[in-house]
This record gives sequence, structure tokens and C-alpha cells, in this order.
Amino acid sequence: MAAEGSPLEQFQIERLIPLHIGSVDVSYTNSALLMTIAVVLIGLLLIAGTRRGALVPGRLQSTAEMAYEFVAGMVDENIGHHGGREFFPLVFSIFMFVFFGNTLGLIPYSFTFTSHIIVTFALALFVFLLVTLVALFKHGIKFFTMFFPAGAPIFMAPILVPIEIVSYLSRPVSLSIRLFANMMAGHTMMAVFAGFTITLGIFGFFPIAINVALYALEVIVTALQAYVFTILTCLYLRDAVHLH
Amino acid sequence: MSEGGPSDPLARLGERLDRARADENRGRPSGSGDATPSGLGVGFRIGIELVASLLVGLALGWVFDHFLGTRPWGLIVFFFLGAAAGMVNAFRAAQGMGRGAPPPG
Repeated sequence: MAAEGSPLEQFQIERLIPLHIGSVDVSYTNSALLMTIAVVLIGLLLIAGTRRGALVPGRLQSTAEMAYEFVAGMVDENIGHHGGREFFPLVFSIFMFVFFGNTLGLIPYSFTFTSHIIVTFALALFVFLLVTLVALFKHGIKFFTMFFPAGAPIFMAPILVPIEIVSYLSRPVSLSIRLFANMMAGHTMMAVFAGFTITLGIFGFFPIAINVALYALEVIVTALQAYVFTILTCLYLRDAVHLH
Repeated sequence: MSEGGPSDPLARLGERLDRARADENRGRPSGSGDATPSGLGVGFRIGIELVASLLVGLALGWVFDHFLGTRPWGLIVFFFLGAAAGMVNAFRAAQGMGRGAPPPG
């Protein structure tokens, strides 16, 4: 799709191992490869980090513990200690997967799977369905009171309820667009400035300087977006558990 | 190492860790994380809320029209519902920022 040398070329999906089941294309792509690498790296970090279990942690163990405490703090603070802890494995997996996906994408010549809306939308849709199911199982029919703001006069219901339903349904969309747009915008911007470097010749140092600054910004954005995605997951789970 | 007080070395280490953590957190305002909301981040977030709800509203309207054959009324009604929901979401996002709990971005 994207032309050769275009700033969007980096988002091209390539089939590394073509595979078809029936008429469905399930090829192993560069996106899938990076996801595999991310999962393997997360697994290695946690296994190697917790293998020794030393009282005074080494570097790897410190990293693993920091990740754990960061997410555990987020879960406790946002969902609450009661009823929040059973979601910790899920929230931790989401955080690590998004964080590693974002960060691995910063390595030159690699690929950012979180810059594809289908990936982030699948993640967000999974969170959305889970949250809805949790709320339904926990509260049963009372779940639907969520669509009517408390204290509003009853004759407003025909207007308020559809608005609340649309607002509820837009959660996975805004969640996925936020992550995907941030990642894609950052990477495209860097590629555009890198393109200027060549065409400007001797003044090429200027775009390079901007790119160095942009790269630092991107490092922040990768962590921040992983954090935002995770904390919104926590907030949605809180809504489901406590129903306002 | 047999003295009074917290004799267990582990308990003493725990106390020292607690004190160190308390010192570390003193400088920070309470709330989650130390990510300060940048203007761009806030704008981006609210913009996305508005657009996402509008898109969902339009999609719902289109689906209704498609299956009930009420073109173009579903699209029109759900366009306005989506816009209203977007404003509700943007308002809630902005409100949450004042409270300091939900994030920028």
C-alpha cells in the first residue's frame, strides 16, 4: 500500500511464514513475530527475576519487582483492595504486553504492533467484553441502572439512556484509538523528520537534532500510553465491580 | 545480634524500607503516578473522546437503518446521540482530571 520510502512504510505488514486455514489468512507476520518476542521477553524477565528470590534483589529481580509493585499499586488504588486483586493477573499482562510492544517498536528496523488499530482494538474489545460480563455476573439486572444517572428526573430517561449507552459503547473505541494514534503519530513524525535529513543536505543536522528530542519524547510516550491504557482498564473494572 | 525491640532482622529491614518509602513519597503530591498532564495530552484525550463517541453513534445509526430500513432517520438520530455522548464523555474526562485520579494522555 505505502509507497517505497514513504513515512508510512514502517507500518507495512509482511508475511514471514504464509499460512492459510481454509480461506482465512493466518500467516505469521512481522507483527506476530514482535508479539512473540514481547511475550518471550516478559516471560524471561519474570522467570529470571523471581528464580532466586533473594532478600536484597539484584538488577533483574528489582526490575520484576518494580513492575509488579507499580501495577499492584495501580490496581489497589483504582479498583480497591477488595474485589480488585483477582484482576491483577489480567491487568499486569495487559500492562506488560502494551509496554513491551510500545518499547520494542522504538528499536530501529523493528515493528510496533501497537501502531495497528486492529491490535489495540482487539485488546480494548477484550477488556470491554470482560468488564461487561463481570458487571453482569456481579450485579445481574442491576447492571442496567448504570445507564441511568442517579437523581435525574424519570421523564428524561428516553434521552439520557441512549446517550449513556452510546457513551458506554464508545469506551473500547476511544481506548483503542488513543493508543494506536499516539504510537502511529510519533513514529510517522520521526520518519518524516528522518526524510528531511537527506533532502536538506548540509542542513541535515537540524532534523537530526529534532529527531533526538522526538525520540526522547517517544520513550516517555511509550510508558505513558501503556500506563494510560492500563489505568483506564482499572477504572472500567472499578465501575464494573462497584457500579458507581 | 540479640537485643530488645524488633529483634527479627527481617522486621527491622521492613521498618527501614517503610521509612525510606515514606521519605520518597513525601515530595510528591498524592495521586497516582507523577505524570503531569501536558496541554497537548489533555487536548488529545478530550478530542478522542468526542470523535470516538460520534463514530460509535454513526455506526449504530447505520446498523439500525440497515436492518430496520429506516434510512436516513437512524443515522440522523444517532448522530445527535453520539455527539451528546461525546460531550458527556469529554466532560467526564475533564472532571476526572481535576480530581487528579484518571490520567492525562
